[in-house]
Amino acid sequence: MNNSAVVNPVPSDAVVVDGVSMVFNEGQQNQVEALGSIDLVIRPGDFVSLIGPSGCGKSTLLRLIANLLDPTAGSVLVNGKSASQARVEQDYGMAFQQSGLFEWRNVQKNIELPLELKGWSKARRRERSAEMLELVKLSDFAAHMPWQLSGGMQQRVAIARALAAHPPLLLMDEPFGALDEMTREHMQAELLRICAAAETTVVFVTHSIPEAVYLSNRVVVMSPRPGRITEIIDVDLGDDRDEDSREDDEFYARITDVREALRGADRVAGARGIEDR
Amino acid sequence: MIRRGLRRAALFIVALALVAVTWELYVAFGPEDGGEVLGMRILPRASERAMPHTWEMGQRLFDPEVRGQDRPIWLAVTGYAWYTFRMALVGFLLGCTFGIALAVLMSRFRVVERGLLPYVVASQTVPLIALAPQVAALGGNWDLPKWTWVAALGAFLAFFPVSVATLKGLSSTSAASLELMDSYAASWWTTLTKLRFPAAMPYIIPGMKLGATAAVIGVIVSEVSTGVRGVGFASLTYAQKATSDPAQVYTAVFGAALLGLAMFGLVVGFELLVMRNRPAEGSS
Ligand SMILES: Nc1ncnc2c1ncn2[C@@H]1O[C@H](COP(=O)(O)OP(=O)(O)OP(=O)(O)O)[C@@H](O)[C@H]1O
Ligand SMILES: [Mg+2]
Repeated sequence: MNNSAVVNPVPSDAVVVDGVSMVFNEGQQNQVEALGSIDLVIRPGDFVSLIGPSGCGKSTLLRLIANLLDPTAGSVLVNGKSASQARVEQDYGMAFQQSGLFEWRNVQKNIELPLELKGWSKARRRERSAEMLELVKLSDFAAHMPWQLSGGMQQRVAIARALAAHPPLLLMDEPFGALDEMTREHMQAELLRICAAAETTVVFVTHSIPEAVYLSNRVVVMSPRPGRITEIIDVDLGDDRDEDSREDDEFYARITDVREALRGADRVAGARGIEDR
Repeated sequence: MIRRGLRRAALFIVALALVAVTWELYVAFGPEDGGEVLGMRILPRASERAMPHTWEMGQRLFDPEVRGQDRPIWLAVTGYAWYTFRMALVGFLLGCTFGIALAVLMSRFRVVERGLLPYVVASQTVPLIALAPQVAALGGNWDLPKWTWVAALGAFLAFFPVSVATLKGLSSTSAASLELMDSYAASWWTTLTKLRFPAAMPYIIPGMKLGATAAVIGVIVSEVSTGVRGVGFASLTYAQKATSDPAQVYTAVFGAALLGLAMFGLVVGFELLVMRNRPAEGSS
């Protein structure tokens, strides 16, 4: 366990968030101070989870890294570039709670969307989408329409789409939130396998403590109003975590750590919104 | 699919038969010189002159337009309707192009929407009957055949529903999808063609259905006041002979109805093509 002290950032870092704060509707009556002075360094290959009570600014932080929002103060670097540069060069893929597939495109065409926008040739797109379909084990469903798939399958397509261009960074906002427990655990294992294969850095927003601990090598605990990082908890389940890791002592110990850190954060704000599943 | 088609065709025939039966019942039992409801004369006269029997109308289809000709009237009417259909189709396509372009422009620039929308709405309250001869006269100066102006007036009525529907559709793209396109740093044009436009299709198509019908109405009305000889003009000339040949005018009415159905069917065909891979309505 270490506190949120800034580890000296180096140019090769995947994400450097430096003194970022975010105020919505500044100067107006409905002004919201969503994030207050966030420092966070994410190394290549890290799997970092953001956890905290509802409204503490997890999605906002993710959007700032994605350059879908501009910070009120501070700066964000992705792969040593400014966040906007990284967005233009499509250095990251994104996946949300809702799969957000285009209903008029079949599974394969959905996965190829980012490649199409990059101007890849048809042959090259076909090759890559076939590879991605294999990865998420949906090769038999290439020609299906999204609405013909189950929720978990749709989510896998969305992940395949996010990873199609082999981005070095994957940003995910509660991607498994809508899934049942069984599918969810299965998807977690799949995600670990996929990201290990592609050596992808992941920033993962979740409400579930076991999910955060199982997936991450670092869990970032946040508290609301304004959103801050209260604690960063290292998890050492090894690189080859599997279903058995869920029985591990380390797993339980870190769950307890995260829960206590969250209680601390909760006491500050009196907010709720964390599930124990 | 085929079964559904058959069922629809059967329903259509049943509906047609019901209309015919209602008509005959009214002719048989309705008031001979019309009737009043709440002091207003709105019930039609049930006399044979005003409301000929359905079988007489049917028979009339096979008699010539004017005594002495060989050509049965249904052929003549089909000819008129086909002419009108072509004008309405040109008008409809023109109206769709213009309506969609206008909607794209309005969704792109809020200023344009604010400035233009009142005029777009006002344009639809201009009395077309009064406008048509002026427009046609104007057309004379430009040396274009008269039918192009009739088609243009059809477009004038067709663009409105298409434009309003498209505008609504373009602005109802989900925020998450827009954010996704943003995350790819996609340009405005790319976002329009890959996301906004396909996502707007379920809105645009009902607008096109209204537009197709509006184009037909626009063309028929304009024919009357410009003297272009389509089915609208034919109904007018037939109506003038209504005292001596009451069934004749209804043959033109059939022609016009058939033409309206054909236009509508065209859009339905387009819908089946575009929406064939979309989830069925109601589920999602
Ligand atoms: N576009 C916006 N305009 C105004 N306020 C916003 C906007 N987006 C977020 N906020 C505010 O910022 C705060 C943080 O929101 P955010 O969505 O980041 O929370 P979160 O941690 O993701 O919550 P949840 O766990 O419920 O998803 C909230 O108080 C929210 O009201
Ligand atoms: Mg959120």
